[in-house]
Amino acid sequence: MTTSEAKSKLLLYRGPIDDVDPQFQEALAHARRDPELGQWLREQTECYDSIRAKLLGIEPPLGLAEKIVRRRPIPFPRDWSRIGQLAAAILISASITALLMKWSERRNHPVAGAQEIVVTGEVLDMTCYIASNLSGPEHAECARICIRNGEPAGIKAQDGKVYLLTGEPGQSINAKLAEYAAQVVTIKGRQSVRDGFAQLQVEEIRKL
Amino acid sequence: MSADPEFEDLVKIHYPDLYRFGLSLTGSEADACDLTQETFYIWANKRHQLKNPTKVKAWLFTTLHREFLQARRDETRFKDEPIDEASAEFLTMNADCVNRIDARVLLSFLGKLDETHRAPLVLYYLEDLSYNEIAETLSVPLGTVQSRIARAKMKLLRLLNETNAPK
Repeated sequence: MTTSEAKSKLLLYRGPIDDVDPQFQEALAHARRDPELGQWLREQTECYDSIRAKLLGIEPPLGLAEKIVRRRPIPFPRDWSRIGQLAAAILISASITALLMKWSERRNHPVAGAQEIVVTGEVLDMTCYIASNLSGPEHAECARICIRNGEPAGIKAQDGKVYLLTGEPGQSINAKLAEYAAQVVTIKGRQSVRDGFAQLQVEEIRKL
Repeated sequence: MSADPEFEDLVKIHYPDLYRFGLSLTGSEADACDLTQETFYIWANKRHQLKNPTKVKAWLFTTLHREFLQARRDETRFKDEPIDEASAEFLTMNADCVNRIDARVLLSFLGKLDETHRAPLVLYYLEDLSYNEIAETLSVPLGTVQSRIARAKMKLLRLLNETNAPK
């Protein structure tokens, strides 16, 4: 093996991690015999260590791990007997809910027709806002991701009232709202209220 | 708020390395965060598909790299050359010179490399993976990975040398 051939092999040598790799053995033996090649190899591995240390010194942004953990899907056990039990529970629960709703419809007056209003305020990712009171510019990136991924969006008006934002029935408006996450906008839409909970069906968004 | 300690432990162990890999590939902190989050999200949904638990790390890096490529949809074709030809000069440089360079500058130099060469080079520097594992992670043959690393490394050293050259 010539010195040039040894260098072409040792160009990829990183140090102890590659000591057991057979492809380097002959070239390493050559470097032990040739002082000039040995010196070149030392410089080469020191340079590798410096670049590696430089890259390993880059720290991820604060809070990234918490964001990842918060976003994780809820693990669902793949136990078919449990799935059967859950399905039965959901079916019974849905039947009872449907009966109660039918009964309630008979007793209550229908909600007043939707009313067109204009609201100015911050666009919220409702999941983080309600669960963790997160909002504002420092939460903008998370809000944008959550809304873009289909989490419910809302708007907090200047008087403190919060509205759930929706699109036309059956149409998601999250992609549009994600652009305005944590920003103050004016939204024109149709308000519906049930049991004290307000919803705004978005017709127009204007950024201030 | 922890309901899945196993998942949280996995995040704690691997998120810094995945973030650095993402940052080296994209050059953007926001994109690196997105890629890291997306990788763990996919993991949480598909972890039951992984048969060999010792391959978690390689699986995470493969997934992040795949997501990166999918986002870029870069169809550029390239030609790999043998190591001998690529490394004709056998450049090296003093470690002190590297130490004087800011990590941001290093990242900007990585950004100048072809995407297909950048990923193996970053894994070569950052991760204690064997060449076979790097090849497996990136789904390319061993010889191709080694020639890409060699070429990318020579280009990086050339850029570092130019920065340190007397003006």
